[in-house]
Amino acid sequence: MLIFSVFKTLTDQKVTVELKNDLSITGVLKSVDQFLNIRLDKIEVFDEARHPHMMAVKNCFIRGSVVRYVQLPAEHVDTQLLEDATRREAAAQNKR
Amino acid sequence: MATLQGYVDHRVLLILQDGRAIVGVMAGYDQKSNVVLSDSKERVYSVEEGVEEIPLGLYLVKGDQIVLIGELDEALDQSVDLSTIRAEPIPPIHY
Amino acid sequence: MLPLSLLNAAQNKPMLVELKNGETFNGHLVNCDNFMNITLREVYQTNADGDKFWKLKECYIRGSTIKYLRVPDTLLDAVKEEQNRAREAGRSARGAHVSGAGNRGGRGMLQRGRGAMRGGPIRGGRGRGRGM
Repeated sequence: MLIFSVFKTLTDQKVTVELKNDLSITGVLKSVDQFLNIRLDKIEVFDEARHPHMMAVKNCFIRGSVVRYVQLPAEHVDTQLLEDATRREAAAQNKR
Repeated sequence: MATLQGYVDHRVLLILQDGRAIVGVMAGYDQKSNVVLSDSKERVYSVEEGVEEIPLGLYLVKGDQIVLIGELDEALDQSVDLSTIRAEPIPPIHY
Repeated sequence: MLPLSLLNAAQNKPMLVELKNGETFNGHLVNCDNFMNITLREVYQTNADGDKFWKLKECYIRGSTIKYLRVPDTLLDAVKEEQNRAREAGRSARGAHVSGAGNRGGRGMLQRGRGAMRGGPIRGGRGRGRGM
């Protein structure tokens, strides 16, 4: 839930998604869901020459299960807040 | 909420986990991202020859096989001459 | 149009199923469930390399092993048509006492009755079950 919440705060930011098939796609994060499926707008495929497959695609849906990394804009993520929230959630988990 | 609702009745490009690229009209989908594609065609990319388009018809693709669903800008897609494109096929997904 | 509705409507139709391991199964759909587990009859199975073949009278395929299914193109229109007919039947059943039942009765009623029965148990089992 935590990472889902982080993504929700990052809508309309530019992110780069690296997939498990080594494809890298940069775009504006339009939405995310509980499975961390991602909707990106205005996409650019990294190394377009090698991957002309998506030339006519401007926006896409990416299945969460195939994402390796998502590069986030550092200025829009409050890491302190995130760390605290994580510690709180871990503590709650341990209590249970 | 990332939903596929906006793509229904649009022409889309599906990339599958084995690296296949399929274009077709999205007729329906469900919560597990299973997708129904009508009038679908597989696009086979190669470094030696242009893109080969294989007509497939009505297709039901399992959600767990899907990597990415892209909305095809039809005007842009029409303007591309597939026979001139040389590219390696998309690599398969490995965990 | 839900993928599972399409599949349910494909009962008794021929289809091609490819598994994640590349094997293909060509046969007629007997039945399917919500997990997309399916049973096929009169099946031609081919291994992933395409060099071994089997003929099976019947087989069961676990939904989780399926990569995709290819179904006859005409199926999409047939299902949409049936969904429209079912919707009309629902609407007319509700408004039956208002408009002349005589009109809807006769040949039209008979067709719809049969259609509704065909689609009924499947839809009723899934949809209404969840509603309850």
